[in-house]
Amino acid sequence: MAPRNIPTTHGLEGGELGAIVADRRTLDHLFSVTYEELRRLASSVRRDDPGVSLSPTALVNEAWLKLASSPPFALTSRLHFKRIAARAMRQVLIEAARRRNAGKRGGGAPLVTFDDALEQKPSDSEDLLTLDAALEQLAQVNPRQAIMVESRFFGGLDVAETAELLGVSEATVLRDWRAARAWLSRELRAS
Amino acid sequence: MMDPGRWDRVQALFHRATDLQAAERRRFLESECGPDAGLVEEVLALLAEDARGGSLLDRDVAHLARGVLEGAAQPSIPTEEFGPYRIVRVLGQGGMGVVYLARRDDLGSLAAIKILRDAWLSPTRRDRFASEQRTLAQLNHPAIAPLYDADILPDGTPWFVMEYVDGAPLTEYCRRRASSIPGRLRLFRSVCEAVQHAHRHAIIHRDLKPSNILVKADGTIKLLDFGIAKQLESLDLPADQTQTGLRLLTPAYAAPEQFRAGRVGTHTDIYSLGVILYELLAGRLPFDLSHRTPAEAEMVVAEQEPEKPSVAARNTDASELARSVGATSWADLDVLCLKAMHKDPQRRYRTVEALIRDIDHFLAGEPLEARPDTLRYRVGKFVRRNRAPVSAAALVFAVVVGLVVFYTVRLTRARNAALAEAARAQNIQRFTMSLFEGGDREVGPADSLHVVTLIDRGLQEAKSLDGEPAVQAELYETLGSIYEKLGNLARADTLLRSALDRRRTLFSPGSPEVTGNLVALGMLRVSQAKFEEAERLMREALDNGKRRLPPGHPAVAQATFGLGLVLQERGDYDHAIQVSQDAVRLYSTPEEAPTHELAASLGQLADDHFYAGHYQISDSINQRVLAMNRQLYGERHPRVADVLINLGASQFDRGHYDVAERYDRQALSILESFYGDNRAQTADGLTQLGRALVFEKKFDEAIVVLGKALAIRERIFGPMHPTVASTVNELGNTAVAQGNLDAAEGYFRRMVDIYKTAYGAKHYLNGIALSNLASVFVERKQYPRAEQLYREVLKLYAELLPADHLNTGIAHIKLGRALLRQNRYAEAAAESLAGYVIVSKQASPTVSFLRAARRDLVIAYDSLRQPDKAARFRAELADTAAKQ
Repeated sequence: MAPRNIPTTHGLEGGELGAIVADRRTLDHLFSVTYEELRRLASSVRRDDPGVSLSPTALVNEAWLKLASSPPFALTSRLHFKRIAARAMRQVLIEAARRRNAGKRGGGAPLVTFDDALEQKPSDSEDLLTLDAALEQLAQVNPRQAIMVESRFFGGLDVAETAELLGVSEATVLRDWRAARAWLSRELRAS
Repeated sequence: MMDPGRWDRVQALFHRATDLQAAERRRFLESECGPDAGLVEEVLALLAEDARGGSLLDRDVAHLARGVLEGAAQPSIPTEEFGPYRIVRVLGQGGMGVVYLARRDDLGSLAAIKILRDAWLSPTRRDRFASEQRTLAQLNHPAIAPLYDADILPDGTPWFVMEYVDGAPLTEYCRRRASSIPGRLRLFRSVCEAVQHAHRHAIIHRDLKPSNILVKADGTIKLLDFGIAKQLESLDLPADQTQTGLRLLTPAYAAPEQFRAGRVGTHTDIYSLGVILYELLAGRLPFDLSHRTPAEAEMVVAEQEPEKPSVAARNTDASELARSVGATSWADLDVLCLKAMHKDPQRRYRTVEALIRDIDHFLAGEPLEARPDTLRYRVGKFVRRNRAPVSAAALVFAVVVGLVVFYTVRLTRARNAALAEAARAQNIQRFTMSLFEGGDREVGPADSLHVVTLIDRGLQEAKSLDGEPAVQAELYETLGSIYEKLGNLARADTLLRSALDRRRTLFSPGSPEVTGNLVALGMLRVSQAKFEEAERLMREALDNGKRRLPPGHPAVAQATFGLGLVLQERGDYDHAIQVSQDAVRLYSTPEEAPTHELAASLGQLADDHFYAGHYQISDSINQRVLAMNRQLYGERHPRVADVLINLGASQFDRGHYDVAERYDRQALSILESFYGDNRAQTADGLTQLGRALVFEKKFDEAIVVLGKALAIRERIFGPMHPTVASTVNELGNTAVAQGNLDAAEGYFRRMVDIYKTAYGAKHYLNGIALSNLASVFVERKQYPRAEQLYREVLKLYAELLPADHLNTGIAHIKLGRALLRQNRYAEAAAESLAGYVIVSKQASPTVSFLRAARRDLVIAYDSLRQPDKAARFRAELADTAAKQ
């Protein structure tokens, strides 16, 4: 299952994921798993217990374990799956950030919050939304770089995996990442 | 941003500049870019960013996830949204949702509320949450926390209420109390029973672990968290593989096949039970997975053989425990535990029941069924049990021969006893009630389809149990009763009869099994409107039960209650009253303690009196039921509302519509606060109130109230659902009462449409709808059109209903009247008489249809100059009038 045929000439929307993940239902399951994993990840951070803290890499690996033998994914390579999972994680996080932002602005009903120990960074959700928008822009001019950032940042793929996924050398991955990181960081600061 | 070409340029410059000293960069760029000063600044900005740390991109996703998920989803709960419940504090949270401790305002009792967080995320999450709710609604077992209520917050977040359990996790409880091995086994046995109950309802838990099993202070256990439980029915579907993948397993208790996302079944739960037993016996888990990656964990669980519990126990804190039982007992415990957690699902205990049997054997000092079947083992067991002086080899040989026979017989008997016990354990009646009559009425057609699939599968499984006729019969009865609730009366019939046949060969007449089965079949006959046979069955159950069982036996009380119901349905209210009084007596305790059964039988007695026209007696009994239900269920419980509605109906019948209206309003207020103003039950209450208003001629409000009911039902069930049709019917009747015949015709035509869409053309409910439509034509004096419709109805009934069905009789009577109005006396007399014969067989002589038939027959025979016949019905009219 060679993962070399990633289309890099067009944006990420629709087509690619749609081709791999046959139906919405499957994608939906993937999202649910991703979500639960992300939440587990988040709560491991919260407990500040280094022993149980999970990296995105471990997380994607677990999602793979859980979904690998299901029919829609049975013919997907592990690497390719990770790529899809990274995409899913990005979307789950962005959707959550979007909701969170909307919630902060709207509402007005009398609410009671039960967790006073909570000290969240108010800017995380806005930053994520900015990053998302910037990644979309990046995808317009260099789709390969956008996939790379998504896979590494959201999916925890390492350099070797990213190189294999994109069919480029590891040096290229490192160079591309450095430039993309600089540009995206500037976009984030500018916003 | 920029165009791809420029971005390539920027990047190329950026990479080259990074190799230079910071001071040389500007000069390099200026020389490269020439006049394009913007490009220089652009690249410099990127270089500055490159040198700076602390970018979002350097952080890890975990922290971001925490920021947006933990923070955002920390649910801000609009507190007023949980009906009568007030949130007290958070009990716990997991991937799916948050569980709160809540207090009921009116009762002061505690409950647990579970909400799904981030319901927006995906339909899968919502489905899974709904599935947990459904699972709880299906299960009714003392060791499983029941579902109380469920709804959805305005923002779409679903929630449900269940019992709050205050207890300690199983392992912690045993450790703290330093429970003995038999004590631990008995607790573990209760856990198995709860799991077995779930399996009997085709539900696998999939996440059994000590933290999901709480022991309360009184030593009873509760099995919690059916969050990833699974209905067995869909296991064969390919899509399930994905769902299997969805479970977030707890590796320490997960079976090898769960890691592999292999086929999950009851054997998966049996494995987890084995691990729990291991932990209880050995004081530690079979495998230490705490520092393993998932892949390593998978390998360990799949490949590595665990130490025997007996060995592990000696090396842990549980060594006290290890010494408390002898080596031979430990050998049995090793076998028992390791058979449950065998790596090959095929070689585990085949059912939880089999596991329970071996626990019982162990506790009774009997040989295990799991034990290799060697003579040495059996003889050893015998010697230990009897401490007999069987040292001489010759004696051993002699004993062995007899022993094998003895144990074979004994095992079979013990096994049958265990099977029978297990079969009794399931409370079929209440299961079906909770599933099909309980708070679950919002489940639409799709879900009932789901249930049907499930039941059909259950039937397949039951059919394969030929070797265990007692269990098979029990299952057939359960399934039969379910099919009855689902309206598949033919299949219910087959199943209940097969169950009865099997039981008649297995048990004596008058045994609880046969008696219960007769009652179930009798109830089916009531649904089929075969009252004569229903009565025969109930009487058989009761007569034999009375002869063979102690007077207070539940089966006798049940049969009495059933007979009361049949007699009520037949309209034989005088006898129904006597029998229902017996049922009340059987369910009464000396202390007059209110119980569910007593309240139900009193309610039936009140209904008997109501139908018999003894309104005051009915009311006074109902007042007692009202007080009882208030005590049993709380002031504002739907069961209280039910009684209020009955009290209202009694006033309604006597023409006290204003009093009826007041009762209905009280009932409605309870239903609204319990279910919210948007639920099926509320719509029922509104419909009732609407009826009273119609008769008070408060048509405007009636139409508003019925309109509300209609809107709720349309929302819940969709515009073409049969439930909607019944409200449409009431609106039609309102329109008839208002003389608004065009509107009435519209309503009834819609009713016809709905039934045709829902059930197809061939369903008897079409007959009822057509018949009501015909009544509009009667009102308009368009008798030929009415006649045509009634004939259509009769044709339908002839195809679908038994010839002597009550509905058929009524249709003949109505057709008779349409003919009479056209002065076609001979035909009218024939129809009215046909109807009269049928209805008088089924119903009390005083029902209004019979009175109508008699009146019409008198007119018809008078006109036909047949005075003898006319006189007969005239006399009957006078006679029944006197009885009224």
